[in-house]
Amino acid sequence: MKRRSFNKKILVLLFAAAGLLAGCGKGSASVPDINAEENGQAESREGEKVFCYGDTTFNSENDEPDVNPHNGYAGWACIRYGIGETLFKYSDTMEAEPWLATEYTNVDENTWEITLREGVTFTSGRAMDAQAVKECLDHLIEVHERAAGDLKIKEISADGQKLTIKTKVPVPALINYLAEPYGCIIDMEEGISDDGNVSGTGPYRATVVETDTGLTLVKNENYWDGVPHLDTIYVRTISDGDTMTMAMQSGELDGAYGLPYASLPLFENAPYSISSCETSRSFFGTMNYETEALKDANVRKAIAAAIDKEGFTRVLMNGNGSPAVGPFPESFTFGDSTVTTETFDPEASKALLAESGWIDTDGDGYVDKNGQKLTLRWLTYPSRQELPLLAESVQATMKDIGIDLQVNCTANHLDFIDSGDWDIYASAFVTAPTGDPEFFFTTHCLDDSSKNRGNYHSDELEALEEKMSRTFDADARAKLATEMTQVILNDNGFVFASHLRMSIVSGEGVTGLTAHPCDYYEITVDLDKN
Amino acid sequence: MKEKWGAGMRTRKKVKNYMALKLIIFGTLAAAVILMAVFAPYLTPFDPYEQDLGNALLPPGRVHFLGTDRYGRDMLSRVIMGSQTTIFSALFLVSVVTVIGSVLGIICGYCGGRGDSFLMRLSDIFLAFPGMVFAIAAASVMNGGIWNAVAALACISWPKYARIARSQVMSVKNQPYIAAARLSGSGFWKIIGKHVVPNIAGPVVVTAVLDIGTMMMEIAGLSFLGLGATPPTAEWGSMMSNGRSMLQTSPWVILAPGAAIFLTVMIFNLMGDTVRDFLDPRQRKR
Repeated sequence: MKRRSFNKKILVLLFAAAGLLAGCGKGSASVPDINAEENGQAESREGEKVFCYGDTTFNSENDEPDVNPHNGYAGWACIRYGIGETLFKYSDTMEAEPWLATEYTNVDENTWEITLREGVTFTSGRAMDAQAVKECLDHLIEVHERAAGDLKIKEISADGQKLTIKTKVPVPALINYLAEPYGCIIDMEEGISDDGNVSGTGPYRATVVETDTGLTLVKNENYWDGVPHLDTIYVRTISDGDTMTMAMQSGELDGAYGLPYASLPLFENAPYSISSCETSRSFFGTMNYETEALKDANVRKAIAAAIDKEGFTRVLMNGNGSPAVGPFPESFTFGDSTVTTETFDPEASKALLAESGWIDTDGDGYVDKNGQKLTLRWLTYPSRQELPLLAESVQATMKDIGIDLQVNCTANHLDFIDSGDWDIYASAFVTAPTGDPEFFFTTHCLDDSSKNRGNYHSDELEALEEKMSRTFDADARAKLATEMTQVILNDNGFVFASHLRMSIVSGEGVTGLTAHPCDYYEITVDLDKN
Repeated sequence: MKEKWGAGMRTRKKVKNYMALKLIIFGTLAAAVILMAVFAPYLTPFDPYEQDLGNALLPPGRVHFLGTDRYGRDMLSRVIMGSQTTIFSALFLVSVVTVIGSVLGIICGYCGGRGDSFLMRLSDIFLAFPGMVFAIAAASVMNGGIWNAVAALACISWPKYARIARSQVMSVKNQPYIAAARLSGSGFWKIIGKHVVPNIAGPVVVTAVLDIGTMMMEIAGLSFLGLGATPPTAEWGSMMSNGRSMLQTSPWVILAPGAAIFLTVMIFNLMGDTVRDFLDPRQRKR
């Protein structure tokens, strides 16, 4: 492990050195020369519409090295840039609704019949029928571990436009999982190119795929759901937020996703516009039940009541988020409005600590018990700009109630998780990427959850999950989710600080670039520039 | 002839007076900055670590002379407090590398032999690296933190002092007065302490004083990259880094620590220049 972390460090510093050297060269080294390409194109085709889009996420560090949905999280890029589409899509309230499919029936617990849309063709020219979808999904579960684990498909049969999926065990959320970006339907006859390009059914197709650099997209003339307005789209990966801000200001970009919060006020007025939307990406702390002090319910409750969520979201996130109660934002039927938790109240926290015998006896400003100061290690990482801000803000409010919070903000956080050298772990996670609530609990809160890092355990929660895994009705699932959320909130095993409000900035004359709660519908057929 | 001599004397005296004045001015300014760092906790108008989100990002005004940062902390207090971290770590770093580098250089220069060859090849290796890149690499391997940043910079800075001390010792050690001292029975340490060190001190001290500003910049640079001081410690470099995305919306957050670095580095650099002019015999004869 140590060796691995050392290698990682070497890699990091090589990048840092490379970055530094690059920085010494041309000022705009990190912004690809968009204009050159643009001019070239403009000369050859007069009057064509070109759009430049800046994004922070299209890179291999993010597990999005290309646009092949069967590779890691690259499906997010495939769907985000309008290359691929899924059988079902999420509505604004994150409920799955038909997209490439028109309807589905749940024949029995393990069998689903899906009717596909007529008249849809891949950019390769092949018509999308059940056979093509079967080939795509067969390949997906063969090569994509996460998808295979979610879908638990036993066999797929195809008949014209009718697709029948049989699962090994009941999978109540199958339709939701099919709407996950890995479920983008691509033409497997055309295959996956060496650079990770695919043939999808979306409004655009990629002509150039360059890992960590960007993409070139051109209009799909045969798109089934309208005519795309733009001829060419250049997607540029710009990982430095300040560079992207300046590229947006100089007009090099027509739209941008992932700008720093501090830059957003610059784009509030015309000619710019901002489209914002609350997502299920939540910032939350996990309590380590191995830590002696945190085994005390009063201490956990005191911590939960000492986090100024309102101040954090309003001031430090510039209002680009909402204070969280539980893991799901209010827009979900099982979201924040259905559950309750501690409110910010430092006095109540102090009282709770005193009740458990944590009192400042030596007058150093920190509470102690049996001669031991209450010191907690807050582990987090810097790649999400909100997390270091949350850490520093919590450090100050904890100090007020007498807890000495030592912040460890490191890219190496997973090594610390493995070694157990932490008390509270703050992280960001998309809690309901498929619109279904079960995912968060199965990944984080159960005895056998892979991300149950703090060894949280609740008999009540285990029993509710047992019920959830056998429940198909959406309303019943939502009700169960509410109960499960309340259980983890009552235990204060997890403290949710805020939900991310994602923002996409559009430049002059740009329409149809809107943020969606799922975080990955960005370039659509509606996008236009005048 | 006599008159010409007299005029020469007068000019030299004038130059020397001018230099002494400069030395006094810059020495006083540097002393003031160091005193500010020493008494920083008593000089801050507000608690530099007290957060007040209700007063975040206030522009400079009557209450908060340099405004507040995104956590609502008073910038003036943080700049004053930050002087402690930046200036002390720079002074500590310069002292350490001066002492270690000079001691190694003197021993190498005076004794020669295999040890000399080995240490000089080692210093060649360090000198072959671009200093800052090496420091970034070393600091990130050591996981950041202000002391690790100082250690990383020390690793790359000592060879310069070793080189200077060694070349000075080489030119001094064959002088008749060293031979005389040796003949009169002086031991190794006595010769080094009494006859070598005082004769090579000038160039080493000048280099050290000139380096204070550079080291300050480098420490602030490492902190800017997140490899030096860690939050919430007030340090000029990390304060600039934290404020960099607010350059257009709340410029005071980055301008205040930036101006502090600029002024302090300038004072120490000018003082270094003056010390060099003052100690350099050629300058004095002119």
